[in-house]
Amino acid sequence: MGKKTVLYDTHQKLGAKMVEFGGWDMPVQYTGIIDEHNTVRNHAGIFDVSHMGQIFVSGNDALPFLQKVVPQDISKLQPNAAVYCQLPYEAGGLVDDLIIYRLEDDKYLVIANASNVEKDFNWFKKNATQYDVKIDNRSDEFSMFAIQGPNACKIVEKSGINELKQPKFFTITKTEISGYPVYISRTGYTGEDGFEIIVRNENALVLWDLLMDKGGEFGLKPIGLGARDTLRLEAALMLYGNDLSESTTPVEAGLKWSIPQDKKEDYNGKSVIMSQIESGVQKKLIGFEMIDRAIARHEYEIYYNGQKAGIVTSGGFSPTLNKNIGMGYIDTKYDIKLDSVIQIMVRNKLYNAKVVKRPFVKKRYKNS
Amino acid sequence: MMLIPEGILCSKSHEYLLEGENGIFTVGLTDYAVEQLGDIVFVELPEAGSEFEKGEVFATVESVKAASEIYMPAGGKIIEVNEKIVENPEILNESPFEEGWLVKIEGENIHADSGDLLEYADYKEEIE
Repeated sequence: MGKKTVLYDTHQKLGAKMVEFGGWDMPVQYTGIIDEHNTVRNHAGIFDVSHMGQIFVSGNDALPFLQKVVPQDISKLQPNAAVYCQLPYEAGGLVDDLIIYRLEDDKYLVIANASNVEKDFNWFKKNATQYDVKIDNRSDEFSMFAIQGPNACKIVEKSGINELKQPKFFTITKTEISGYPVYISRTGYTGEDGFEIIVRNENALVLWDLLMDKGGEFGLKPIGLGARDTLRLEAALMLYGNDLSESTTPVEAGLKWSIPQDKKEDYNGKSVIMSQIESGVQKKLIGFEMIDRAIARHEYEIYYNGQKAGIVTSGGFSPTLNKNIGMGYIDTKYDIKLDSVIQIMVRNKLYNAKVVKRPFVKKRYKNS
Repeated sequence: MMLIPEGILCSKSHEYLLEGENGIFTVGLTDYAVEQLGDIVFVELPEAGSEFEKGEVFATVESVKAASEIYMPAGGKIIEVNEKIVENPEILNESPFEEGWLVKIEGENIHADSGDLLEYADYKEEIE
Protein backbone atom coordinates (compact mmCIF):
# COMPACT_ATOMS: atom_id res chain seq x y z
CA MET A 1 0.00 0.00 0.00
CA GLY A 2 1.20 3.46 -0.86
CA LYS A 3 0.79 6.73 1.00
CA LYS A 4 -2.71 8.12 1.18
CA THR A 5 -3.74 11.66 0.39
CA VAL A 6 -6.19 13.41 2.71
CA LEU A 7 -8.88 12.66 0.13
CA TYR A 8 -8.38 8.89 0.01
CA ASP A 9 -11.78 8.10 1.60
CA THR A 10 -13.47 10.73 -0.54
CA HIS A 11 -12.13 9.10 -3.70
CA GLN A 12 -13.44 5.74 -2.57
CA LYS A 13 -16.85 7.22 -1.83
CA LEU A 14 -16.85 8.73 -5.31
CA GLY A 15 -16.34 5.23 -6.72
CA ALA A 16 -12.74 5.67 -7.81
CA LYS A 17 -10.52 2.80 -8.81
CA MET A 18 -7.26 3.26 -6.95
CA VAL A 19 -3.76 2.47 -8.21
CA GLU A 20 -0.28 2.89 -6.84
CA PHE A 21 1.57 5.79 -8.47
CA GLY A 22 4.85 7.32 -7.34
CA GLY A 23 4.49 5.67 -3.93
CA TRP A 24 0.91 6.90 -3.46
CA ASP A 25 -2.52 5.28 -3.68
CA MET A 26 -4.21 7.50 -6.23
CA PRO A 27 -7.52 7.45 -8.13
CA VAL A 28 -6.93 6.25 -11.70
CA GLN A 29 -10.54 6.75 -12.75
CA TYR A 30 -14.02 7.44 -11.41
CA THR A 31 -16.63 7.12 -14.19
CA GLY A 32 -14.22 6.16 -16.98
CA ILE A 33 -11.13 7.68 -18.57
CA ILE A 34 -12.76 8.82 -21.81
CA ASP A 35 -15.73 10.40 -20.05
CA GLU A 36 -13.40 12.19 -17.62
CA HIS A 37 -11.12 13.30 -20.44
CA ASN A 38 -14.04 14.83 -22.34
CA THR A 39 -15.35 16.47 -19.17
CA VAL A 40 -12.08 18.41 -18.85
CA ARG A 41 -12.02 19.39 -22.54
CA ASN A 42 -15.68 20.49 -22.55
CA HIS A 43 -16.48 21.63 -18.99
CA ALA A 44 -14.06 21.28 -16.08
CA GLY A 45 -12.46 18.64 -13.90
CA ILE A 46 -10.93 18.58 -10.44
CA PHE A 47 -7.82 16.49 -9.79
CA ASP A 48 -6.30 15.48 -6.47
CA VAL A 49 -2.59 16.01 -7.11
CA SER A 50 -1.57 15.97 -3.47
CA HIS A 51 1.09 13.41 -4.32
CA MET A 52 3.16 16.18 -5.88
CA GLY A 53 5.88 17.74 -3.77
CA GLN A 54 6.27 21.25 -2.38
CA ILE A 55 9.84 22.29 -1.65
CA PHE A 56 10.41 25.84 -0.39
CA VAL A 57 13.71 27.54 -1.16
CA SER A 58 14.53 30.73 0.73
CA GLY A 59 17.36 32.82 2.09
CA ASN A 60 19.96 35.32 0.89
CA ASP A 61 21.34 32.96 -1.73
CA ALA A 62 18.04 31.50 -2.92
CA LEU A 63 18.44 33.14 -6.32
CA PRO A 64 22.09 32.19 -7.01
CA PHE A 65 21.34 28.67 -5.76
CA LEU A 66 18.41 28.22 -8.15
CA GLN A 67 20.49 29.74 -10.96
CA LYS A 68 23.00 26.96 -10.32
CA VAL A 69 20.50 24.08 -10.50
CA VAL A 70 18.23 24.98 -13.44
CA PRO A 71 18.95 26.19 -17.00
CA GLN A 72 16.16 28.78 -16.79
CA ASP A 73 16.97 32.37 -15.83
CA ILE A 74 15.41 32.73 -12.39
CA SER A 75 16.70 36.32 -12.12
CA LYS A 76 14.03 37.28 -14.68
CA LEU A 77 11.27 35.76 -12.58
CA GLN A 78 9.04 38.48 -11.10
CA PRO A 79 7.41 37.99 -7.70
CA ASN A 80 4.28 35.80 -8.11
CA ALA A 81 5.47 34.50 -11.47
CA ALA A 82 6.14 30.88 -12.38
CA VAL A 83 8.49 29.18 -14.82
CA TYR A 84 8.70 25.63 -16.19
CA CYS A 85 12.18 24.28 -15.38
CA GLN A 86 14.33 21.21 -15.68
CA LEU A 87 16.77 19.95 -13.08
CA PRO A 88 19.83 18.64 -14.96
CA TYR A 89 22.71 16.53 -13.78
CA GLU A 90 26.18 17.70 -14.84
CA ALA A 91 25.96 15.41 -17.91
CA GLY A 92 22.72 17.06 -19.03
CA GLY A 93 20.31 14.23 -18.16
CA LEU A 94 17.50 15.12 -15.80
CA VAL A 95 16.85 14.66 -12.10
CA ASP A 96 13.31 15.94 -12.64
CA ASP A 97 11.22 18.62 -14.30
CA LEU A 98 9.68 21.30 -12.11
CA ILE A 99 7.64 24.42 -11.83
CA ILE A 100 9.29 27.16 -9.80
CA TYR A 101 7.19 29.98 -8.34
CA ARG A 102 8.68 33.14 -6.91
CA LEU A 103 6.57 33.79 -3.81
CA GLU A 104 8.53 36.70 -2.36
CA ASP A 105 11.81 38.46 -3.07
CA ASP A 106 13.94 35.61 -1.80
CA LYS A 107 11.38 32.86 -1.30
CA TYR A 108 10.57 30.32 -3.98
CA LEU A 109 8.25 27.34 -4.20
CA VAL A 110 9.32 24.32 -6.21
CA ILE A 111 6.67 21.81 -7.34
CA ALA A 112 8.26 18.39 -7.88
CA ASN A 113 6.98 15.12 -9.33
CA ALA A 114 5.67 12.73 -6.67
CA SER A 115 8.19 9.97 -7.26
CA ASN A 116 11.10 12.43 -7.34
CA VAL A 117 10.48 14.56 -4.25
CA GLU A 118 13.12 12.88 -2.10
CA LYS A 119 15.58 12.70 -4.99
CA ASP A 120 15.12 16.41 -5.80
CA PHE A 121 15.41 17.39 -2.16
CA ASN A 122 18.66 15.44 -1.77
CA TRP A 123 19.96 16.91 -5.03
CA PHE A 124 19.18 20.40 -3.77
CA LYS A 125 20.93 19.68 -0.48
CA LYS A 126 23.97 18.36 -2.27
CA ASN A 127 24.16 21.47 -4.45
CA ALA A 128 23.45 23.91 -1.63
CA THR A 129 26.62 23.52 0.42
CA GLN A 130 28.18 26.75 -0.89
CA TYR A 131 25.01 28.82 -0.53
CA ASP A 132 23.21 30.61 2.28
CA VAL A 133 19.90 28.96 1.50
CA LYS A 134 17.15 27.14 3.36
CA ILE A 135 15.64 24.14 1.59
CA ASP A 136 12.46 22.96 3.17
CA ASN A 137 10.57 19.92 1.92
CA ARG A 138 7.04 20.59 3.17
CA SER A 139 5.27 18.10 0.90
CA ASP A 140 3.70 16.33 3.89
CA GLU A 141 1.97 19.52 5.06
CA PHE A 142 0.15 20.36 1.85
CA SER A 143 -2.53 18.99 -0.41
CA MET A 144 -2.89 20.16 -3.99
CA PHE A 145 -5.83 20.21 -6.40
CA ALA A 146 -6.02 21.14 -10.04
CA ILE A 147 -9.16 22.58 -11.61
CA GLN A 148 -8.83 22.40 -15.36
CA GLY A 149 -11.07 23.11 -18.32
CA PRO A 150 -12.94 25.91 -20.05
CA ASN A 151 -15.21 26.42 -17.00
CA ALA A 152 -12.36 26.49 -14.45
CA CYS A 153 -12.37 30.28 -14.30
CA LYS A 154 -16.12 30.41 -13.53
CA ILE A 155 -15.78 27.79 -10.79
CA VAL A 156 -12.97 29.67 -9.08
CA GLU A 157 -15.04 32.85 -9.38
CA LYS A 158 -18.04 31.12 -7.82
CA SER A 159 -15.73 29.96 -5.01
CA GLY A 160 -15.07 33.57 -4.11
CA ILE A 161 -12.13 34.75 -6.25
CA ASN A 162 -13.53 37.02 -8.93
CA GLU A 163 -12.01 36.99 -12.35
CA LEU A 164 -10.03 40.21 -11.89
CA LYS A 165 -8.35 38.82 -8.79
CA GLN A 166 -7.53 35.46 -10.31
CA PRO A 167 -3.89 34.85 -11.12
CA LYS A 168 -2.90 35.32 -14.77
CA PHE A 169 -1.29 32.55 -16.82
CA PHE A 170 1.80 31.15 -15.08
CA THR A 171 1.45 33.31 -11.98
CA ILE A 172 0.51 32.50 -8.39
CA THR A 173 -1.52 34.36 -5.76
CA LYS A 174 -1.64 33.88 -2.01
CA THR A 175 -5.24 34.34 -0.99
CA GLU A 176 -8.16 32.72 0.81
CA ILE A 177 -11.08 30.61 -0.31
CA SER A 178 -13.92 30.73 2.19
CA GLY A 179 -11.44 31.77 4.87
CA TYR A 180 -8.94 29.00 4.16
CA PRO A 181 -5.48 30.23 3.12
CA VAL A 182 -4.39 28.92 -0.27
CA TYR A 183 -1.82 29.44 -2.96
CA ILE A 184 -3.60 29.46 -6.29
CA SER A 185 -1.76 29.47 -9.61
CA ARG A 186 -2.84 29.56 -13.27
CA THR A 187 -1.04 26.39 -14.26
CA GLY A 188 -1.88 22.79 -15.05
CA TYR A 189 -1.11 19.65 -17.00
CA THR A 190 -3.97 19.32 -19.46
CA GLY A 191 -3.48 22.00 -22.13
CA GLU A 192 -6.65 23.73 -20.89
CA ASP A 193 -7.07 26.94 -18.93
CA GLY A 194 -7.05 26.15 -15.26
CA PHE A 195 -5.70 26.49 -11.77
CA GLU A 196 -3.69 24.61 -9.21
CA ILE A 197 -4.53 25.18 -5.58
CA ILE A 198 -2.21 24.40 -2.69
CA VAL A 199 -3.83 24.12 0.71
CA ARG A 200 -2.78 22.89 4.14
CA ASN A 201 -3.80 19.27 4.74
CA GLU A 202 -6.13 20.15 7.60
CA ASN A 203 -8.22 22.30 5.24
CA ALA A 204 -8.05 20.07 2.19
CA LEU A 205 -11.18 18.01 2.70
CA VAL A 206 -13.48 20.95 3.27
CA LEU A 207 -11.94 22.86 0.35
CA TRP A 208 -12.41 19.90 -2.02
CA ASP A 209 -16.06 19.62 -0.98
CA LEU A 210 -16.54 23.34 -1.41
CA LEU A 211 -15.03 23.32 -4.92
CA MET A 212 -17.09 20.25 -5.91
CA ASP A 213 -20.20 22.01 -4.64
CA LYS A 214 -19.49 25.32 -6.42
CA GLY A 215 -18.46 23.51 -9.58
CA GLY A 216 -21.57 21.37 -9.89
CA GLU A 217 -23.49 23.82 -12.06
CA PHE A 218 -20.48 24.13 -14.40
CA GLY A 219 -20.20 20.39 -14.96
CA LEU A 220 -17.22 19.90 -12.64
CA LYS A 221 -16.34 16.24 -12.02
CA PRO A 222 -13.43 14.50 -10.30
CA ILE A 223 -10.78 13.27 -12.71
CA GLY A 224 -8.30 10.42 -12.18
CA LEU A 225 -4.73 9.86 -13.24
CA GLY A 226 -5.85 7.93 -16.33
CA ALA A 227 -7.40 10.99 -17.94
CA ARG A 228 -4.60 13.18 -16.57
CA ASP A 229 -2.27 11.10 -18.73
CA THR A 230 -4.39 11.21 -21.92
CA LEU A 231 -4.90 14.97 -21.50
CA ARG A 232 -1.23 15.75 -21.01
CA LEU A 233 -0.25 13.47 -23.90
CA GLU A 234 -2.59 15.31 -26.28
CA ALA A 235 -1.00 18.56 -25.11
CA ALA A 236 2.46 16.90 -25.58
CA LEU A 237 3.45 17.79 -22.01
CA MET A 238 6.40 15.83 -20.68
CA LEU A 239 6.03 13.03 -18.16
CA TYR A 240 9.17 12.38 -16.13
CA GLY A 241 9.91 8.65 -16.14
CA ASN A 242 8.50 8.35 -19.68
CA ASP A 243 9.56 11.27 -21.89
CA LEU A 244 12.20 12.64 -19.55
CA SER A 245 14.78 10.74 -17.56
CA GLU A 246 18.35 10.84 -16.39
CA SER A 247 19.39 9.82 -19.91
CA THR A 248 17.54 12.59 -21.77
CA THR A 249 18.60 16.22 -21.93
CA PRO A 250 16.12 19.10 -22.26
CA VAL A 251 17.42 19.81 -25.77
CA GLU A 252 16.82 16.22 -26.88
CA ALA A 253 13.33 16.47 -25.38
CA GLY A 254 12.53 19.49 -27.56
CA LEU A 255 12.52 21.87 -24.61
CA LYS A 256 14.99 24.32 -26.15
CA TRP A 257 12.21 26.94 -26.13
CA SER A 258 12.40 26.93 -22.33
CA ILE A 259 16.16 27.48 -22.12
CA PRO A 260 17.56 31.00 -22.36
CA GLN A 261 20.76 31.16 -24.41
CA ASP A 262 21.91 34.40 -22.83
CA LYS A 263 21.94 33.27 -19.19
CA LYS A 264 25.32 34.32 -17.81
CA GLU A 265 25.56 32.11 -14.74
CA ASP A 266 26.97 28.63 -14.92
CA TYR A 267 24.50 25.84 -14.11
CA ASN A 268 24.60 22.05 -13.89
CA GLY A 269 24.72 20.59 -17.38
CA LYS A 270 25.30 23.94 -19.08
CA SER A 271 28.19 22.87 -21.28
CA VAL A 272 26.30 19.84 -22.62
CA ILE A 273 23.05 21.74 -23.07
CA MET A 274 24.67 24.72 -24.81
CA SER A 275 26.73 22.53 -27.11
CA GLN A 276 23.62 20.56 -28.07
CA ILE A 277 21.80 23.80 -28.83
CA GLU A 278 24.72 24.90 -31.04
CA SER A 279 25.76 21.62 -32.67
CA GLY A 280 22.63 19.49 -32.56
CA VAL A 281 21.64 16.26 -30.87
CA GLN A 282 22.03 12.52 -31.52
CA LYS A 283 18.47 11.76 -30.56
CA LYS A 284 15.35 13.84 -30.41
CA LEU A 285 11.75 13.60 -29.35
CA ILE A 286 9.09 13.35 -32.06
CA GLY A 287 5.32 13.10 -32.03
CA PHE A 288 3.45 10.63 -34.21
CA GLU A 289 -0.01 9.38 -34.96
CA MET A 290 -0.76 5.82 -35.97
CA ILE A 291 -1.80 5.25 -39.58
CA ASP A 292 -2.45 1.53 -39.11
CA ARG A 293 -4.79 0.22 -36.49
CA ALA A 294 -2.55 -0.32 -33.45
CA ILE A 295 -1.68 1.43 -30.22
CA ALA A 296 1.91 2.42 -29.48
CA ARG A 297 2.89 2.17 -25.82
CA HIS A 298 5.80 3.18 -23.59
CA GLU A 299 9.01 1.34 -24.61
CA TYR A 300 7.76 -0.05 -27.93
CA GLU A 301 10.40 0.18 -30.67
CA ILE A 302 10.36 2.69 -33.52
CA TYR A 303 11.58 1.59 -36.99
CA TYR A 304 12.48 3.54 -40.11
CA ASN A 305 13.29 1.89 -43.45
CA GLY A 306 13.70 -1.44 -41.73
CA GLN A 307 16.16 -0.14 -39.13
CA LYS A 308 15.49 0.21 -35.44
CA ALA A 309 15.50 3.99 -35.11
CA GLY A 310 14.18 4.75 -31.65
CA ILE A 311 11.83 4.07 -28.79
CA VAL A 312 8.33 5.17 -27.80
CA THR A 313 8.20 7.04 -24.50
CA SER A 314 4.46 7.77 -24.29
CA GLY A 315 1.63 6.45 -26.39
CA GLY A 316 -2.04 5.71 -26.31
CA PHE A 317 -5.51 6.55 -27.47
CA SER A 318 -6.43 10.20 -27.90
CA PRO A 319 -10.10 10.67 -26.98
CA THR A 320 -10.19 14.18 -28.47
CA LEU A 321 -8.80 13.13 -31.86
CA ASN A 322 -10.16 9.58 -31.82
CA LYS A 323 -6.70 8.48 -33.00
CA ASN A 324 -3.79 6.62 -31.50
CA ILE A 325 -0.90 8.97 -30.82
CA GLY A 326 2.50 8.88 -29.20
CA MET A 327 5.90 10.44 -28.61
CA GLY A 328 9.32 8.90 -28.70
CA TYR A 329 13.01 9.43 -29.27
CA ILE A 330 14.57 8.77 -32.68
CA ASP A 331 18.21 8.70 -33.71
CA THR A 332 18.88 11.89 -35.68
CA LYS A 333 21.07 10.03 -38.18
CA TYR A 334 17.84 8.96 -39.88
CA ASP A 335 16.15 11.51 -42.09
CA ILE A 336 12.92 11.50 -40.11
CA LYS A 337 10.94 14.72 -40.30
CA LEU A 338 7.38 15.99 -40.26
CA ASP A 339 5.10 13.67 -42.32
CA SER A 340 7.75 10.91 -42.49
CA VAL A 341 6.25 7.44 -42.23
CA ILE A 342 7.78 5.39 -39.43
CA GLN A 343 6.83 2.00 -38.00
CA ILE A 344 6.05 0.97 -34.46
CA MET A 345 6.71 -2.61 -33.34
CA VAL A 346 3.57 -3.87 -31.61
CA ARG A 347 3.54 -7.51 -30.48
CA ASN A 348 6.26 -8.42 -33.01
CA LYS A 349 4.58 -6.76 -35.98
CA LEU A 350 5.34 -3.39 -37.58
CA TYR A 351 2.57 -0.84 -37.96
CA ASN A 352 2.80 2.46 -39.86
CA ALA A 353 2.68 5.80 -38.13
CA LYS A 354 3.24 9.35 -39.35
CA VAL A 355 5.37 12.03 -37.72
CA VAL A 356 3.15 14.97 -36.76
CA LYS A 357 3.46 18.31 -34.98
CA ARG A 358 3.23 18.59 -31.24
CA PRO A 359 1.01 19.40 -29.42
CA PHE A 360 -1.48 16.96 -30.90
CA VAL A 361 -4.36 19.05 -29.57
CA LYS A 362 -4.08 22.86 -29.49
CA LYS A 363 -3.53 24.33 -26.04
CA ARG A 364 -6.25 26.66 -24.85
CA TYR A 365 -4.48 28.68 -22.17
CA LYS A 366 -5.70 32.16 -21.31
CA ASN A 367 -2.50 34.11 -21.75
CA SER A 368 -3.73 37.57 -20.86
CA MET B 1 -28.57 -5.05 -14.59
CA MET B 2 -26.69 -7.24 -17.01
CA LEU B 3 -28.30 -10.49 -18.07
CA ILE B 4 -26.02 -13.44 -17.39
CA PRO B 5 -26.49 -16.17 -20.03
CA GLU B 6 -27.49 -19.50 -18.56
CA GLY B 7 -24.84 -22.20 -18.55
CA ILE B 8 -21.95 -19.80 -18.97
CA LEU B 9 -18.53 -21.00 -17.75
CA CYS B 10 -15.77 -18.64 -16.67
CA SER B 11 -12.01 -18.94 -16.36
CA LYS B 12 -9.98 -17.40 -13.56
CA SER B 13 -8.38 -15.18 -16.21
CA HIS B 14 -11.88 -13.79 -16.92
CA GLU B 15 -12.77 -15.33 -20.27
CA TYR B 16 -16.14 -17.03 -20.67
CA LEU B 17 -17.24 -20.02 -22.69
CA LEU B 18 -20.86 -20.54 -23.71
CA GLU B 19 -22.15 -23.62 -25.48
CA GLY B 20 -24.51 -22.94 -28.38
CA GLU B 21 -26.05 -25.15 -31.01
CA ASN B 22 -24.30 -27.73 -33.20
CA GLY B 23 -21.19 -27.92 -31.05
CA ILE B 24 -20.36 -24.23 -31.49
CA PHE B 25 -19.12 -22.31 -28.46
CA THR B 26 -18.90 -18.55 -27.94
CA VAL B 27 -15.84 -17.08 -26.21
CA GLY B 28 -15.76 -13.62 -24.66
CA LEU B 29 -14.72 -11.54 -21.68
CA THR B 30 -16.74 -11.46 -18.48
CA ASP B 31 -18.57 -8.38 -17.27
CA TYR B 32 -16.04 -8.18 -14.43
CA ALA B 33 -13.15 -8.21 -16.91
CA VAL B 34 -14.48 -5.36 -19.05
CA GLU B 35 -15.37 -3.38 -15.95
CA GLN B 36 -11.82 -3.76 -14.64
CA LEU B 37 -10.25 -2.88 -17.99
CA GLY B 38 -12.24 0.33 -18.33
CA ASP B 39 -12.83 1.95 -21.72
CA ILE B 40 -11.78 -0.56 -24.37
CA VAL B 41 -10.40 1.18 -27.46
CA PHE B 42 -8.76 -1.59 -29.48
CA VAL B 43 -9.34 -5.27 -30.17
CA GLU B 44 -7.12 -7.63 -32.15
CA LEU B 45 -8.71 -10.96 -33.07
CA PRO B 46 -7.27 -14.07 -34.71
CA GLU B 47 -8.13 -15.18 -38.21
CA ALA B 48 -10.99 -17.58 -38.72
CA GLY B 49 -9.65 -21.06 -39.28
CA SER B 50 -6.74 -20.75 -36.86
CA GLU B 51 -6.49 -23.19 -33.99
CA PHE B 52 -5.49 -22.63 -30.39
CA GLU B 53 -4.79 -24.78 -27.38
CA LYS B 54 -6.43 -24.11 -24.05
CA GLY B 55 -4.51 -21.33 -22.27
CA GLU B 56 -2.95 -19.94 -25.47
CA VAL B 57 -3.14 -16.21 -26.22
CA PHE B 58 -5.60 -15.75 -29.09
CA ALA B 59 -6.53 -12.07 -28.88
CA THR B 60 -5.45 -8.74 -27.44
CA VAL B 61 -7.72 -6.13 -25.93
CA GLU B 62 -6.47 -2.65 -25.17
CA SER B 63 -8.05 -0.19 -22.80
CA VAL B 64 -7.00 3.45 -22.66
CA LYS B 65 -4.47 2.44 -20.02
CA ALA B 66 -2.91 -0.81 -21.22
CA ALA B 67 -2.88 -3.85 -23.48
CA SER B 68 -4.16 -7.20 -22.15
CA GLU B 69 -3.68 -10.65 -23.63
CA ILE B 70 -6.73 -12.91 -23.81
CA TYR B 71 -6.40 -16.67 -23.27
CA MET B 72 -8.42 -19.52 -24.76
CA PRO B 73 -10.69 -21.03 -22.08
CA ALA B 74 -10.66 -24.28 -24.09
CA GLY B 75 -8.78 -25.56 -27.12
CA GLY B 76 -10.47 -25.34 -30.51
CA LYS B 77 -10.70 -23.93 -34.00
CA ILE B 78 -11.86 -20.36 -34.61
CA ILE B 79 -14.86 -20.52 -36.91
CA GLU B 80 -16.04 -16.92 -36.63
CA VAL B 81 -14.68 -13.65 -35.22
CA ASN B 82 -16.75 -10.65 -34.16
CA GLU B 83 -15.74 -8.01 -36.74
CA LYS B 84 -18.18 -5.54 -35.21
CA ILE B 85 -16.07 -5.11 -32.07
CA VAL B 86 -12.94 -4.45 -34.13
CA GLU B 87 -14.72 -1.42 -35.62
CA ASN B 88 -16.47 -0.47 -32.36
CA PRO B 89 -14.49 -1.76 -29.38
CA GLU B 90 -16.76 0.04 -26.91
CA ILE B 91 -19.35 -2.70 -27.55
CA LEU B 92 -17.23 -4.88 -25.28
CA ASN B 93 -17.87 -2.56 -22.35
CA GLU B 94 -21.56 -2.18 -23.16
CA SER B 95 -22.50 -5.78 -23.83
CA PRO B 96 -19.80 -8.34 -23.00
CA PHE B 97 -22.15 -11.35 -23.04
CA GLU B 98 -24.23 -10.50 -26.13
CA GLU B 99 -23.03 -8.04 -28.77
CA GLY B 100 -19.49 -8.02 -27.43
CA TRP B 101 -18.49 -11.67 -27.86
CA LEU B 102 -14.96 -12.25 -29.24
CA VAL B 103 -14.90 -15.50 -31.25
CA LYS B 104 -16.88 -18.67 -31.90
CA ILE B 105 -15.03 -21.96 -31.71
CA GLU B 106 -15.55 -25.65 -32.28
CA GLY B 107 -13.48 -28.66 -31.35
CA GLU B 108 -13.58 -32.14 -29.92
CA ASN B 109 -11.84 -31.31 -26.67
CA ILE B 110 -13.86 -28.33 -25.60
CA HIS B 111 -15.92 -30.26 -23.05
CA ALA B 112 -12.87 -32.01 -21.67
CA ASP B 113 -10.99 -28.68 -21.51
CA SER B 114 -13.73 -26.90 -19.60
CA GLY B 115 -13.44 -29.05 -16.49
CA ASP B 116 -11.66 -26.35 -14.48
CA LEU B 117 -13.93 -23.52 -15.59
CA LEU B 118 -16.34 -22.08 -13.05
CA GLU B 119 -20.05 -21.56 -13.17
CA TYR B 120 -20.88 -17.86 -13.05
CA ALA B 121 -22.01 -17.85 -9.40
CA ASP B 122 -18.80 -19.59 -8.31
CA TYR B 123 -16.72 -17.28 -10.49
CA LYS B 124 -18.35 -14.26 -8.84
CA GLU B 125 -17.50 -15.67 -5.45
CA GLU B 126 -13.93 -16.31 -6.53
CA ILE B 127 -13.29 -12.72 -7.64
CA GLU B 128 -14.93 -11.05 -4.63
